[in-house]
Amino acid sequence: MKQIDIACIIDDDPIFVFGAKRMMELSDFCESFMIYKNGQEAIDNLKPIIISGENIPDVILLDINMPIMDGWQFLDEFIKIESSKEITIFIVSSSIDPADKERVKQYQNVSNYIVKPISIEKLKRISEGITEV
Amino acid sequence: MSSLTKQILSHSCDISLLDFIQKAASIGTWEFDIESNSLYWSDETKRIHEVPLDYIPNVETGISFYKQGYSRNRITELFTICLEKLEKYDAELQIVTANGKDKWVRAIGIPVIENGKCIKVQGLFQDIDEKTKNARELAYKEDQLRRTFDNALVGMAIVDLNGSWLNVNKSLCKTFGYTKEELKQLSFMDITHPDDLRVGYKAMMNMVNGKINYFETEKRYLHKNGNVIWALLSTSIVKDKNGTPLHFVAQINDLTQIKKSSSKVAQLLATTENQNKRLLNFAHIVSHNLRSHYSNLDMLLDIMKMDVPETTKNSIFPLIEDAVNHLGDTVSNLNDVAVMNTKRNINVENVNLSKSIDNVLSSIAAQILQTQSKVSVDVDPKINISGIPAYIDSILLNFLTNSIKYKRQHENAVILLRAYEKGEYIVLEIIDNGQGIDLSKHGDKLFGMYKTFHNHEDSRGLGLFITKNQIEAIGGKIEVNSEVNKGTTFYIHLRKHETN
Repeated sequence: MKQIDIACIIDDDPIFVFGAKRMMELSDFCESFMIYKNGQEAIDNLKPIIISGENIPDVILLDINMPIMDGWQFLDEFIKIESSKEITIFIVSSSIDPADKERVKQYQNVSNYIVKPISIEKLKRISEGITEV
Repeated sequence: MSSLTKQILSHSCDISLLDFIQKAASIGTWEFDIESNSLYWSDETKRIHEVPLDYIPNVETGISFYKQGYSRNRITELFTICLEKLEKYDAELQIVTANGKDKWVRAIGIPVIENGKCIKVQGLFQDIDEKTKNARELAYKEDQLRRTFDNALVGMAIVDLNGSWLNVNKSLCKTFGYTKEELKQLSFMDITHPDDLRVGYKAMMNMVNGKINYFETEKRYLHKNGNVIWALLSTSIVKDKNGTPLHFVAQINDLTQIKKSSSKVAQLLATTENQNKRLLNFAHIVSHNLRSHYSNLDMLLDIMKMDVPETTKNSIFPLIEDAVNHLGDTVSNLNDVAVMNTKRNINVENVNLSKSIDNVLSSIAAQILQTQSKVSVDVDPKINISGIPAYIDSILLNFLTNSIKYKRQHENAVILLRAYEKGEYIVLEIIDNGQGIDLSKHGDKLFGMYKTFHNHEDSRGLGLFITKNQIEAIGGKIEVNSEVNKGTTFYIHLRKHETN
């Protein structure tokens, strides 16, 4: 089911990054990864990539609570960049605060809100969601 | 008219004029003839004594009309002096009339002297009852007013137009810590807080100029010991008949204690708000930070199972998994409670109690069947309450499953639900025949977090705590009655649905 080429993880928690990456590998989720520690680092690196049109990630798993630039700020910056390829964004957060789930609905290009912990099952559903489109 | 009639008329006019004067002035006359020992009273004198006009007095009866005690002793003394020492008298005394009425009279006696000897005493007798009573009443009122002024709880003062104290009461002295004498040496400016010297100055000028008659202000004074005193000052101006200002009457109400308490209240409020903020912050920490650690643990265990399956095949790994799962549940419950307690605007809606009960019962139908429990419901389908449907469901579910879970061994659970109105509440009673709770031992912590009272495999103690919070969040309250090995009744008070 290798439809997803590049998955991008934006999260400041190294344990989550390690686990998510491992789970993706175990479940054959994607071919390769891009990993950024916060929104600022992600924007700085993704902008030239998207403009160049090469190696654009298919899916972004975005954390909310991050230092320097958080998930919301990242989204506000990210929607300004025009992309030739459709990029699916999932918010992946440990927050079960209903206010956060509500806020996600304001962003059209965010597909869904996934509550941590991440599992093989959840990854499968993400993958199916993207491949359906 | 004939001249004869005129004559008669003019004669009778003379008599009636004297009578008229006596009556109008309420003055009667009397005369005592020593030689014949006879006493004569004029008609008015008789009227004042309230005796018939044909009454014949004598000295003894005359004196006996005076009120026993001071008045009678005094008249006896005066009359004796008059006879023996030839001194006239003029006294205000009290008599008791023939009808038993107390009356103030002015009694005047003048000796008529012939050859250095008293032969008669002539006198006047005046009814001064009303006048005396009025004067006495006035004196009483003045006394009352003075006492009121002196003993009033509020500080009162009479201040002249220059601001000097003419009179101050005890309360004022107490408020400022000075004696009356000390205060009278000072002006009100001397005890006013320097920053508030101008407060009320304009109003006082306006009162003197006749623009206003009264004003009220809050200002600070200084106690003799230097402490600041907050007071409510109300001042009115007193003028004479011509409208010339005479002096001020000031009332000074010590507000220091009130100010202190209200600042304490403000402080408490700030503390509470602060604590609320911290609680919100705590809710945030629970929902974000604690959860993220739990979810990492959970994820790592999953990876471990897939990556290094050999490490999971021991007796410890499942225990770690259990512990992590429990941690997840706890964090989630904690979050629920924190959210419930910090939510300000809860949107309550109209919920039909009977329908909610049916829904919950059908969701646990399997459990009821399996445990052979008997649940009967006696709730009027018309009863609506105000609440959040999810909370109502959770509350009902919790109580019902508790009743089933904590049934007595070897006995099936029998549960009765019934509802009735009580004041502003709908009371839902959930009565079971279960193990019961020893309220004397556990009553105060029954609804506490993580308190369990039974050794049941799933008893985790959070249910009642969350339920109580949910009930309170929708404006209700809960009471409980229980007996060990008999059963438990919960009285769930829920807000009635307001139709408007």
